[in-house]
Amino acid sequence: MKPVDFELHRPETLSEAIALLAEHGEDGKVLAGGQSLVPLLNFRLARPEHLIDLGRIASLTAIRRTPQRLIIGAMVTHAQAERSVAVAQGAPLMARAFPHIAHQAIRARGTVGGSIAHGDPAAEMTAVAVALEAIMVAVGPRGTREIPARDFFIANLVTALDHDEVLTEVRIVPPAGPTGAAFEEVARRQGDFALVGAGAQVRLAQDGTIADIRICLTGVSATPHRALEAEAVLIGHAISPESTQTAADATRDVLNPSSDLHATADYRRDVAGTLVSRVVKTAVQRATFDTTSAA
Amino acid sequence: MTKKVEPVAVAKDKTLHRYLSKPARVREDRRFVTGNGRFVADLTPSGTMHIGLVTSPYPHARIVAINVEQALKLPGVVAVLTGAELAKATEPLRQYIDVPEVQWRPLAVESTRYAGEWVAAVVADSRALAEDGAELVVVDYEPLPFVMDPERAAQDDAPLVHPSHGTNVMVKREFVWGDVAANRARAHATTKVRTRWNRNSTVPLETFGVVADWDQHRSVLDIWASIQMPQFPEQIAGALRIPTNQVRVHFDVDVGGSYGVKRGIKHGVLAGFLARQLGVPIKLIEDRSENMHGGDFHGPDRIFEVELAYTADGEFTNIRIDVLDDEGAYPGRSPLQLAKPIGAIVGPYRIPSAEYNAIAVTTNKTGQVAVRGFGQSPTNYAIEAAVDAVARELGMDRMELRRKNFIQPDEFPYKIPSGTEYDSGDYPGVLDKAIEIANLPELLRECETIRAEGRLAGIGVATCLEPGGGNAIFENIMDPSTDKSTFPESCRIRVDGGGAVTAIVSISSAGQAHETMVATLVGEELGIDPDRVAVVRADSLSGFPSQSPVGSRMAIVLGRALHGAASELKSKMCAIGARALDLTPDEVAYCDGSVASVKDPSVSIGWDDLVGIAHRKQHLMPPGMQPGLEVMHVAHTPKSGTLTAPDGTVQLYPCFSFEVHVVLADIDPSTGKVDLKRYFIAHDCGTVINPDVVRGMVYGGTAHGIGVALYEQFAFNDDGQPLTQSFMDYLLPSAHEVPVIVDAEHCTPSPYTTHGQKGVGEAGYMGAPAAIAGAVNDALTACGAEPIHSLPIKPSDIWRALNARTPNQEGSS
Ligand SMILES: Cc1cc2nc3c(=O)[nH]c(=O)nc-3n(C[C@H](O)[C@H](O)[C@H](O)COP(=O)(O)OP(=O)(O)OC[C@H]3O[C@@H](n4cnc5c(N)ncnc54)[C@H](O)[C@@H]3O)c2cc1C
Repeated sequence: MKPVDFELHRPETLSEAIALLAEHGEDGKVLAGGQSLVPLLNFRLARPEHLIDLGRIASLTAIRRTPQRLIIGAMVTHAQAERSVAVAQGAPLMARAFPHIAHQAIRARGTVGGSIAHGDPAAEMTAVAVALEAIMVAVGPRGTREIPARDFFIANLVTALDHDEVLTEVRIVPPAGPTGAAFEEVARRQGDFALVGAGAQVRLAQDGTIADIRICLTGVSATPHRALEAEAVLIGHAISPESTQTAADATRDVLNPSSDLHATADYRRDVAGTLVSRVVKTAVQRATFDTTSAA
Repeated sequence: MTKKVEPVAVAKDKTLHRYLSKPARVREDRRFVTGNGRFVADLTPSGTMHIGLVTSPYPHARIVAINVEQALKLPGVVAVLTGAELAKATEPLRQYIDVPEVQWRPLAVESTRYAGEWVAAVVADSRALAEDGAELVVVDYEPLPFVMDPERAAQDDAPLVHPSHGTNVMVKREFVWGDVAANRARAHATTKVRTRWNRNSTVPLETFGVVADWDQHRSVLDIWASIQMPQFPEQIAGALRIPTNQVRVHFDVDVGGSYGVKRGIKHGVLAGFLARQLGVPIKLIEDRSENMHGGDFHGPDRIFEVELAYTADGEFTNIRIDVLDDEGAYPGRSPLQLAKPIGAIVGPYRIPSAEYNAIAVTTNKTGQVAVRGFGQSPTNYAIEAAVDAVARELGMDRMELRRKNFIQPDEFPYKIPSGTEYDSGDYPGVLDKAIEIANLPELLRECETIRAEGRLAGIGVATCLEPGGGNAIFENIMDPSTDKSTFPESCRIRVDGGGAVTAIVSISSAGQAHETMVATLVGEELGIDPDRVAVVRADSLSGFPSQSPVGSRMAIVLGRALHGAASELKSKMCAIGARALDLTPDEVAYCDGSVASVKDPSVSIGWDDLVGIAHRKQHLMPPGMQPGLEVMHVAHTPKSGTLTAPDGTVQLYPCFSFEVHVVLADIDPSTGKVDLKRYFIAHDCGTVINPDVVRGMVYGGTAHGIGVALYEQFAFNDDGQPLTQSFMDYLLPSAHEVPVIVDAEHCTPSPYTTHGQKGVGEAGYMGAPAAIAGAVNDALTACGAEPIHSLPIKPSDIWRALNARTPNQEGSS
């Protein structure tokens, strides 16, 4: 379990990093928190000759908030974002997801950008990005691209990033109005990648009906799944036991998860529905609390 | 995480012990807690070369050709060794049953028999270069038919793992003890339960490692290894075809976890051979994946059928246990694990007759080895599942059914039908203690409350034995042509010229705190502060006979050796003291470092004077006595020395510890996730030597049992590929999964040991899998679902059991 020999580069600026990537082409790879990449190196599943560590580029570690945008630098760690008030307010669903990512030690190193660039459909951040319609900003030798989440995740561990591009930030539009979010998962152990995970972020209208709803699922498909079918059932209505049940069934109907050592496909499909109804209920409760506490 | 309910009880006559059973620091902790353990990976003699391994990608394949040219061209690579070359110069590794056609070698010869098996070794300047080199070795394989399922492997037309052996069945033994026909006739009914104990192991934090260095001028092969292995030096010497006095195994290396699995014979032979051939120190430290799929350290992989016969009022009359064990590709020592449970075949229950049918088969899986309990925990699980099933059949309370069948305290020593005598026990007393600490009425209410809230809840109970004091007799049981019956331990005690006491042992330890144990026992025997007793480890050439810390035996057998050495030392001091006091040896007694007149204790001679005479004053020594204060004692295992009788009865281990687990599980009915809400253990290992060590063993073993019950499995897919190659998929329970464990000690001393102590190395693990499965099944059956009889129990298994209920059954929940 020793990686193939590589050279480590530690650029201080983004432009240096991009220049290094351009220079080494397919032989170069970006290193963020290393929590996914280092195991891949040790298993020799990734064999770059040059590793370009983004750890010294200060500009990538900021969380910024403008009235219309929450901007999370790619090198912001899970732990840093988990504690951020700006994230809690600007992306409640994301804030709710962090405690489910691995353990504290891994969250202290793993980054939001690394998680999204890695493109694992079992990861919380990829699902959250899809649900919140995040915009991924990529910078490369050909300039800057803004890639919407729905175009970003192409297949299992495959994203729209080119090999010479650096993901620099993730932009999210904050919710306007009383909002609640919830994230729940079933993992075999605390901190494992979930067998199934579900998140919901809900904004309520004055009359208590659902004005905006985003539901996402992890672990059930090759790319992070947004449960549009469940959202369609719920939007515009106040929730009821029947409607969450219908939303759960609608979710189950469209899913085609796979089986592995840890759980069967049938189990994942069924539990996905259960988790959808649970997170929607909790998110609505939290949004209602947000309404009453604002009043 | 843990809560103390009451201090650990000490032996009945507390005044007898000065240091034993008293709270005291565990002396090993300091170096481990500060990160100053000294493990084999920390040792790199100058000039060391490293091994990288080429492993088989196929579960079964013929090796057509191996091309090492490219690998040898890589700068830094110094040699590549293939199985054919190694086989020419070495003997096959030892098998413990009579299967001459089953040849186990460090590197596969002609064919590979599991995915991950070592095929070639690359030696290079660094481990990274050795791995680079291993990638360049090109092996041409011809895939062969393979078998992964033990029941399929047992069939006549199954693909053969070792074709020249003619069958996959490695050993098959059938035993009948007692009047089975009469006892069956007396029964009102029988219950049959098929249980599946899937493959798991004690997965150590430290993988296996070895450093070997051949000194050609002194003709000594020095080995530092992460071992817990009886006869390691002899087996290395045997395989390498060198005299046993040319192998020096160093035992002063810390071993980072084992519980049976740190055998490493093939690793030792490979490194030893290369060290001799290349004339440089050779280091092999397994990486995690190699350890998991190629280390040959998996544990039992068993299918049981237990049939329990019982009367209408719940008295057990006969037990039949059929077991099929999947040994993987090379049986090695693992079939012997089918023998140990014979010594506790009826558990803590008074069952007058028993039948036992044990079969070991090979499959194309990684090899199996000894694991904590040597087959006892799986057997306990199978027996307890049958006991719970009887309780369900009869509608009887599970604790009361057990209590009714317990061997009673006044029946010891108690001979079970298989011929083994249980030394002592107070099973009802320990159960009472468990009920007390669990506050059973409150626990039942909590269970009902959870159910009323719409979740599933269940209580599990297990009452299990831990046989301790491992002996050699299982070799004779599984292969009657083997008549080995000796399994000693030994110790030297030295009082040096300065009067300091040193105890010398020749074993390595894997976390059992032997240094604390030895110091405490020597302190107790000699009446001196254990903190003043140094404990050191001799190597295998300068040391003494030892069979290593297996089978929960060190407190028992090494304890006996310590007692023997201390007694000899004391009588020597008495002889010296008597002469100095002008008395005869029988007129004096040793007490706390002095020798005094029995009649008038004020007439005495102290430690320093005794030491001075022994080391420096020949003119005051009793004539003919050797100078110095140096004694060595080799002890047999208590109650050993007999072979299996023609009727199949046999005395296995001498001592029997006992534990009762009571656990409350809370289960989410939609997801099948199990939360162990409450965990209680009442435990009896006789006289406790060090309370923290005992508690650590109980907690650790329980954590291991939780892993077995709910998380851990070495799984393979239908293509014969291992699915668990890292801790991503082999799920060890963490602090999140192990609940607060509330424990209490009970003390029923053993009559066969020096201070009443029994074994504790397998505690917790003996009963936890059975108790947790019992809790899950209590929850399932309470809502009309069928119980699950396969470990580990995954959330999706529970979900499936709940969904398989008929609507009618669901209504009854
Ligand atoms: C034991 C364990 C448990 C875990 N459990 C979970 C879990 O439950 N849920 C979960 O979501 N994750 C989990 N993870 C993964 C963890 O969250 C990682 O932090 C994350 O997946 C990757 O982030 P990183 O910063 O470590 O990226 P790295 O490992 O450094 O990089 C990952 C990949 O992304 C690329 N990359 C990284 N940053 C950029 C960038 N800015 N631009 C372009 N490419 C980039 C790298 O080249 C690499 O291919 C776990 C990890 C471990 C070790």
